[in-house]
Amino acid sequence: MDVLKVENLSVSFYRPEGEIEAVKNVSFSLREGEILAIMGETGCGKSVLCKSILKLLPDIAKRKAGHIYVRGEEITEYSEKQMQKLRGSFFSMVFQNPMTALHPCMSVGEQITEALRLRQPTLSKRERRQRAVELMELVGLDHPAERAKQYPSQLSGGMAQRCVIAIALAAEPAVLFADEATTALDVTVQAQILELFLELRNRMGMSIVLITHNPGVAALTADRVALMKYGEITGIGDVEEIFEKFGYNQNLISCG
Amino acid sequence: MKRKFPILSLLTLTIIVIHCFACGLIMTKDPLYMDLVHCNEAPGKEFLFGTDTMGRDIFSMIWYGGRISLTIGFLATLLSTVLAVFVGSISGCAPARADGILMRLTELILSVPGLLLTVFLQAVFGRANVYSLSVVIGLTGWMSMAKVVRTEVLQLKNADYVLAAKCLGGGFFHVLFCHLAPNFFPSVLFMAIMNVRNAIVAESTLSFMGLGLPVETVSWGSMLSLSENALFSRSWWVILVPGVFLVGTLLCLTNLGNYMRGSTNKRHSNLGCEKKDKKNRKEI
Amino acid sequence: MKNLGIIRILYHAGKFLLSILVLSVFVFTISRLAPGDPLYAYYGERLEKMGTAEQEQARARLGLDEPIPVQYARWLQGALRGDFGISYQYKTDVKEVIAVRIGNTLLLGGLGFVLIFVLALLLGLFCAWREDRAVDRLICKIGTVTSCIPEFWLSLLLLLVFAVWLGWLPGSGAYSVGKERSLSDRALHLILPLAVVVLGHLWYYAFQVRNRLLEEVRADYVLLARMKGLSGKQVLRRHCLRSAMPSYLSMMAIAFPHILGGTYVVETVFSYPGIGTLAYESARYKDYNLLMVISLLTGIMVTFCSMLAQGINGRIDPRTRGSVTVGRGEADRL
Repeated sequence: MDVLKVENLSVSFYRPEGEIEAVKNVSFSLREGEILAIMGETGCGKSVLCKSILKLLPDIAKRKAGHIYVRGEEITEYSEKQMQKLRGSFFSMVFQNPMTALHPCMSVGEQITEALRLRQPTLSKRERRQRAVELMELVGLDHPAERAKQYPSQLSGGMAQRCVIAIALAAEPAVLFADEATTALDVTVQAQILELFLELRNRMGMSIVLITHNPGVAALTADRVALMKYGEITGIGDVEEIFEKFGYNQNLISCG
Repeated sequence: MKRKFPILSLLTLTIIVIHCFACGLIMTKDPLYMDLVHCNEAPGKEFLFGTDTMGRDIFSMIWYGGRISLTIGFLATLLSTVLAVFVGSISGCAPARADGILMRLTELILSVPGLLLTVFLQAVFGRANVYSLSVVIGLTGWMSMAKVVRTEVLQLKNADYVLAAKCLGGGFFHVLFCHLAPNFFPSVLFMAIMNVRNAIVAESTLSFMGLGLPVETVSWGSMLSLSENALFSRSWWVILVPGVFLVGTLLCLTNLGNYMRGSTNKRHSNLGCEKKDKKNRKEI
Repeated sequence: MKNLGIIRILYHAGKFLLSILVLSVFVFTISRLAPGDPLYAYYGERLEKMGTAEQEQARARLGLDEPIPVQYARWLQGALRGDFGISYQYKTDVKEVIAVRIGNTLLLGGLGFVLIFVLALLLGLFCAWREDRAVDRLICKIGTVTSCIPEFWLSLLLLLVFAVWLGWLPGSGAYSVGKERSLSDRALHLILPLAVVVLGHLWYYAFQVRNRLLEEVRADYVLLARMKGLSGKQVLRRHCLRSAMPSYLSMMAIAFPHILGGTYVVETVFSYPGIGTLAYESARYKDYNLLMVISLLTGIMVTFCSMLAQGINGRIDPRTRGSVTVGRGEADRL
């Protein structure tokens, strides 16, 4: 069964100047343990698509049509409260810029334990702290126990992104959205993070939706690719198939 | 999210200003004449807003005195703005050490309670009249604006778009008018309008406490300095009428100032509380 | 590292003392240059009956005939020994005059400060939570109006309504005659002045909190926090507030002397026996010694609070804590 299925989803922004259709009639499905890359230019609606599934869009954006299913159950009309439960356990997300995504005034460890507290309220404080350190180790941070006490401003971009991933993993999600998760990082760190994604998928068996504008990233990591343009999905399929069909040549890929 | 232009405020303010400066045409009585027969009379047909404890017609005094209050507000702001732009620009452009000294000095003056400072200066000028009071208020009101100007100058001095404009061959005046002024202007204008407001408040407060204009010089503040007697005789109109005009003027100025400053919140909230707004629902 | 800390403390203490010294010179000079006769404060109406010779004699006795630098040096000498001279008007030690009154001002200003601190935070939070909805807009409108009302007029208005018309509350003083020790009587006298102090400042700070929070609410970390499964309200309370707190604390540190200074006008209108009325009288009647001490007290408080604010900004806020090497570089430059 598909972990996540989106049918004919349309999302619009209602501004005083008029309606802006950001996502038009988009359908796709995500299989268990699969990495799906949603690829497209800046401003084509990738991010809006993903945030609208999670209902994280600002109030001026509305879902106009379409259905969203999670493991066969429709969540389209879920209330904010129900979504909260889902967000903390089923979905998780990694954002583009780790420096702004982390709370600047909270230590990293604290931010991870907070996620754990919501997910597993039965754990004691010490157990939670223990688990946070384990998570930080899992995402490949050195000296996790000391790092947990540090603030985001004391970390490098790559380390901060690993922390964001650790927070996302605290929920033990079935689906992880990575919204341009590697764009703000430099190339070597980028590769490390992508490898981490692959490893996590293999070890924990979760599905990952990778949003990127970078064909190289998609080619390296994804099982399937969905191409987006002007809010619509123009093609979806295996990596080689899509790249061939839409003429992304090998040079371009190696550039990324 | 764009702010609406505060048309009502502008209109009200214009009406008040025009009436004040054309007070000769509107006044029904001589605002300085003390009609001892009609002391403390409640608002009525003859005296629209009543008379004060000295028998003067409040309706006429409002416009006559408003002229003085507004003049002081304007003159004081003129002085403080010039001073602020001067000190702020110098401080922003000067080397770090001079800048530091200048800002220390500004903060030092800022640290002296405003009222004390004003009283001091007023004492230096001797008996208060409209001009000396304007100067005193102007001299005590430039500091925070100077700090704002300095920050703006510092920010602009190092902005890349200034460099870009220079690279494109823009001269000094081109950069000043096309790039610096548009950035500079809203915040300075906002501060200036707020300064007018503060000056009017300062004048009325000082005159009310008997430190500013004497009772014989009619202004909104000096009119209110009679309110202690008015409280005893329960003549509410002596307190309410000038106060309402004072607060009304200040409110209009504030609205205008806030509009000038403009809103900077262009992004939307990430909080995403479920909004049950009728407007949004209709659009779906 | 420990040495560095001591040096920094010494540096700040030195800066503090220097500021106070400069302030004292400033106030001393200006107050003496200003026209007006301090003898009037001492003798009152009797002054007019005194002859010129008698006046000169009195002047010499009070040390007012010497050049200003000499006067200042003498004042400083006394001040360092803790002797601030006598008040010309009250004819007793300045310290005593102030000691009697300062409690009242601290009560009014302190209580006002605490109320403003708490209420501004709550009001700001509430408005940020209901951003751009009817309640928020209404509160903003009301707030703008209250911020436009000069304190003295608000005092008059409240006096008119509650003391004159309704007669519920006393209109002047800090206590009724003969009831100095009655707590309820003092509280009753405090209500109106306190209301003016709080209303006069509240919206300014609440609006700052609101705007600050609205900025925070637009930050990316809000999304991450919601991703964890927190509700919008929880994010606002736990995360946004926390991030706005350092700047709020430092703002309130600076606000303290301003709120205390704001009681001057209120005290005068309500004839509340505090430092404010004293300052007003001393400036008016050229009660030099009293004026100096009041100005210095204010100055010390202002300087101390602004240093506190800087300290808060630098220490409490983890954002300013860079990686360790950067941090040391910053410290060295200080």
